[in-house]
Amino acid sequence: MSVSRLLKILVLSLALVNVAVAAQSPAQIEKDIGDKVYCLCGCVTTLNHCPMLQCAEKEEMRGIIRADLKQGKSEPAILQDLVNRFGEKVLAAPPASGFNLTAWVLPGIGLLIGLLLAMAIVRRWRRPAVQAAAASTAHPVDESVRSAVEEEMKKYID
Amino acid sequence: MNQVGAVGLIAALVFAIYGMITGAIAGKLRSPRMLKSAQRAVLGFFAMATLAVVSLEYLILTNDFHSAYVASHSSRELPMLYKIPVLWSGQEGSLLFWTWLLSIYVAMAVLLNRRKNRQLMPYIISICMGVATFFSLLTFCVANPFNQLSLATATGVTPYAPPDGNGMNPSLQFHSMVIHPPMLYLGYVGMAIPFAFAMSALMTRQLGDNWIRVTRRWVMVPWMFLGTGIVLGGLWAYHVLGWGGYWAWDPVENASLLPWLAGTAFLHSVMIQEKRGMLKVWNMVLIILTFFLSIFGTFLTRSGIISSVHAFAKSDIGPWFSVFLAIIAAFSLTVLFLRLDFLKTENRLDSIASRESGFLFNNWILLAAVLAVLWGTIFPVVSKAIQDVTVTVGPPFFNKVMIPIGLLLLFLTGAGPLLAWRKTSFQSIKRNFTVPLIFAALVGGILFYVGVHRLYTWMSLFLCAFVAASIVGEFYKGARTRMKTSKENFFSAIYNLTMRNTRRYGGYIVHFGIVLMFVGFAGQAFRFETQGLMGPGDLLQAKDYMFRCESIDTGKKANYQYETASLSVTKDGHSLGVMEPQKRFFIAEQQPLSHVALKSNLARDLYVVMAGTDPDSGKAIIHVIINPLVQWVWIGGMIVLLGTILALIPSRIEREMADLHKSQQEVAEAHHVR
Repeated sequence: MSVSRLLKILVLSLALVNVAVAAQSPAQIEKDIGDKVYCLCGCVTTLNHCPMLQCAEKEEMRGIIRADLKQGKSEPAILQDLVNRFGEKVLAAPPASGFNLTAWVLPGIGLLIGLLLAMAIVRRWRRPAVQAAAASTAHPVDESVRSAVEEEMKKYID
Repeated sequence: MNQVGAVGLIAALVFAIYGMITGAIAGKLRSPRMLKSAQRAVLGFFAMATLAVVSLEYLILTNDFHSAYVASHSSRELPMLYKIPVLWSGQEGSLLFWTWLLSIYVAMAVLLNRRKNRQLMPYIISICMGVATFFSLLTFCVANPFNQLSLATATGVTPYAPPDGNGMNPSLQFHSMVIHPPMLYLGYVGMAIPFAFAMSALMTRQLGDNWIRVTRRWVMVPWMFLGTGIVLGGLWAYHVLGWGGYWAWDPVENASLLPWLAGTAFLHSVMIQEKRGMLKVWNMVLIILTFFLSIFGTFLTRSGIISSVHAFAKSDIGPWFSVFLAIIAAFSLTVLFLRLDFLKTENRLDSIASRESGFLFNNWILLAAVLAVLWGTIFPVVSKAIQDVTVTVGPPFFNKVMIPIGLLLLFLTGAGPLLAWRKTSFQSIKRNFTVPLIFAALVGGILFYVGVHRLYTWMSLFLCAFVAASIVGEFYKGARTRMKTSKENFFSAIYNLTMRNTRRYGGYIVHFGIVLMFVGFAGQAFRFETQGLMGPGDLLQAKDYMFRCESIDTGKKANYQYETASLSVTKDGHSLGVMEPQKRFFIAEQQPLSHVALKSNLARDLYVVMAGTDPDSGKAIIHVIINPLVQWVWIGGMIVLLGTILALIPSRIEREMADLHKSQQEVAEAHHVR
């Protein structure tokens, strides 16, 4: 079995374990929603993190979530209910649709452009292949010697 | 004293303007006399800014409520420990504090370069004094801390002082808050100096090795302060906000992270320029970006343009900062563009498998992190402007975007040092990576076996093991070589090895601190929370821990009233002592605040908050959080600080090189004068 296949199996099994672990109780769903919505009291933190003591807004929002859970609503349905009542600003992350999609996509695009740029710089910086080959044939060096030199260089050049 | 402070502020502004102009003239005319005059202006600016700061502190300490600033941010009952930080607890004071810290930095830059970098100094002074002019002007015109309260009466306007002040924001009355803002400000402000060095090097075409060597140290110092400030901010949030976390991706937190990330990218890529003469333009861009983000961070923190739990002051300074940021961008990019011909790369890349490309990819990831954090932070403003919809960008967004980036960065932290400069052979890669990878695989296997199944958590700990093993390996290999060649024992070898190349081994220690912090971050995946109503005799179970309410007491301190729940804690029948979470009500400020009770060890924190009192039963609402591995975040932060200090100490090789360079420069200067 190749190393890449082994890695694929490992990643896949970890993902499956992750999904299996994710089966949730109502209390867990309430907690998860509390991490995904902001408290509207002005504390500028998520519902679970609101530091205000006896916060009326926090209690109201928790009351809505619990009532929805009692009605058997799913997590997305409860989140939609909160958006309908309080507007999109209640969500701790913008939904990935319309203009808000740019919030999610742009960092990925930036990462990709950066990678392409880095690769382009590396390519531009590289010695022409002929020159490099000529350099290597002009001074043939034993691999063990090269490794030893690299080790030595790491000690002094840093 | 109010008048004295106001005079100090005006005089500081005059000195700043004078220094900016004379510095520029000295640079243009190469006039030693004008340079001397500019240097004196810097010292005058420092003296006057100090006078203004001392005056304001005097007003605060003597409870002079004629001062509008003191009346708004202090009170008679405020403990002495928290009276000093009143200086930076409000908009006006913090801008004055910013100006004063800048005056210290510039004065130090002038004093440390009395006989060095003579050609660079005129423009360095001019640029720093330009920044000083902006902040002095802002403090004087928009947010003057020396305004006095007055009453309009029938006989005219008379000075007025209320019997007591409004007091300080209760959440700021915490020990780490005394040093957290100064640390952050030292970080933000200090980035002005390397920016000035870079701009001056461009303007004078002095783009050899010297400016980069000097600048690296001037970046490292504010970078260290910024990092320490960020960790102390986390410590404050953990102890004060009562939700059991230390980082919430709040805009103001992000604002401090941005220049730190850009500065980190510079500290890595600068090595490529020093060793190989490459990435010269890129390093300039990074210096400009780091300074720009520092000012942007100050703007976000102080303007309140984006809602934040940390935005303790809001005002109309936004347009001023926008103009200043535009000036910085236009000026620096123009200068850079005009000097592009002097920034040609000197070498070529020998191989993709090299330290150079490792640093390049490290920069790629760090800049991607900057972009992601910046975009997420400003997106609410962009959304409001474009689609007129208020959206919030909080932890769910940042966690999704930043965790993969953080893990990539962690991998490069371990992999980079295992690559050699110029070219690493396949044999060498195999040899250097084998032991760390085997160790990481072993740790990963054990973690999976004991139940760590969340992908990111597992990967984080796996990579931590990989990086830690690679760092230990580097120390071990170096020590073994010394033991063979110098016949030293292991500990002497480690010590001498480190002191011989403080920069390299200090860097490894910083990396090790980052690893420990990631271990702490990974612990959050195993956080457990529960809540219950508790009166005397009531029990609450949290995993293996049993909490019993012994009593609920009330009392009064100088500046607050409190209600304390005494909870005895046991685990498997063994007593762990008593925890006393408290609910405080600050009298002058009329604000409640919870005071967290903590029991910490290296494995977990018991974090107990008295969230309030149930109105029906009168019982205390007790919130218990079991937070695994949190202490490693603080320990890691401390190790990062120690590693940075070590890297700042000149190694023996550096001292010899500096002496050589100094004598060369003296000869050059002598020629220049003749």
